[in-house]
Amino acid sequence: MIVIISDDSRGNWGQTLEEAILHIGVQVIRFSADTLQIKPCTACNCCSGKTFGRCIIQDDMQLLFPEIVVCHALVLVSPVIFGNVSHHIKKVMDRMAALGDPRYRVRDGEMVKGMSRQGMTYFMVGIGDDLNEAEHSAFLSLHQENRKIMSVKGQTFILDSRMDKVSLNNIVQEIIHE
Amino acid sequence: MNKSDVMLLCVSPRHKGTSAMLLERIRVVTGGKLFFLPQKGNLDELVVSMQEAGTIIISGPCYINTYPARMLELLETASLTGKFSGQKLYGIINGGMPYIHTHQHGLICLQLFAEQNHLLWQGGFVLGVGAMLDGKPLEKHMNRRTVVPAFNKFIQNISEGIQSPDSLYIKAQSPPGKLTTRIFAKFLTFLVEKNLKKYGQDPEAPNYYLRKQDDGKQNGSR
Ligand SMILES: Cc1cc2nc3c(=O)[nH]c(=O)nc-3n(C[C@H](O)[C@H](O)[C@H](O)COP(=O)(O)O)c2cc1C
Repeated sequence: MIVIISDDSRGNWGQTLEEAILHIGVQVIRFSADTLQIKPCTACNCCSGKTFGRCIIQDDMQLLFPEIVVCHALVLVSPVIFGNVSHHIKKVMDRMAALGDPRYRVRDGEMVKGMSRQGMTYFMVGIGDDLNEAEHSAFLSLHQENRKIMSVKGQTFILDSRMDKVSLNNIVQEIIHE
Repeated sequence: MNKSDVMLLCVSPRHKGTSAMLLERIRVVTGGKLFFLPQKGNLDELVVSMQEAGTIIISGPCYINTYPARMLELLETASLTGKFSGQKLYGIINGGMPYIHTHQHGLICLQLFAEQNHLLWQGGFVLGVGAMLDGKPLEKHMNRRTVVPAFNKFIQNISEGIQSPDSLYIKAQSPPGKLTTRIFAKFLTFLVEKNLKKYGQDPEAPNYYLRKQDDGKQNGSR
């Protein structure tokens, strides 16, 4: 199962990607983060203590947790804003801390963490027209750091808002084959 | 620098954490008004305060390798409103990991915001091991010998209204060696597990949302 979480406030990119995946017969579920009611993480630390693995904030993020926790691939689709994801997508990312393993491990000589369930691949699709080199590399580096700290595999893609069919199909192939 | 138009903005939801402590340390020298990013509601009023300031210093935690979502919402709102006119912008980001590269994205994002919105990017400070500090004075930092003078120099740069180079915080914090890293990871994991056990939680248990689904399936098949 593939889970797509997209910010569709500036375009229908999440839906386009979902349709391309469905077209080849792979199971996929999509959420539009910009239309959901998701509050920011309050750093209450419950998810790494008192309510281990469970976020106590009762909002639409509770619909996403059960899907993300079992998915094989998580795909975040976001406009690239100041080399970052949008705040709608970032709210999901911050709250996903509840699905992380709070213990530390060492990889390539550095401390990292991991996800509570192994085996998820993690993709980020950034959409932006006329991005400069700094925006491009900032977006790539964010996802690279995410993959390291979460100990997951995956890839970053950056597309322009027209999302031509060839690039889209390439992304779909990478996602289903990773 | 005009002391009355300094805006110190804490973007952590924790008002007594490390982000706030660092700003308070700056305020003693620079003066200015301390703001906390509201965690809900409209951000327009805060954007107006940013537009009226001459120097803005933003301090926040590192969440998943960059600033928290609500801070990004502020930048998006501020960018839509526009009307910046060369305000000097400094940034601080602190994270739990003892590295620079894991947190640095926050400053890069802030710099891009400044460049695209007519603010003057003046540099920033990345601080590792901020979680252990947990709002305690910088003198308690693991690398206090180098970090304290570097941060004091950062404050001096702000009060002189000059650019602060990245080399300042990079030189002050070298990553721990291999052995220290292993000891560190073991020690922190011990603390995490001790905390979980205090609440009767099993560190090895599958995630709560997985358990819930498994329970649901079992009940359904009975
Ligand atoms: C949702 C969440 C995500 C976090 N992600 C990271 C991270 O990616 N890297 C890191 O070093 N620390 C991470 N931390 C730890 C905080 O950066 C750290 O506790 C920081 O010192 C908090 O600053 P404050 O006291 O100003 O709130 C995270 C904390 C939370 C609550």
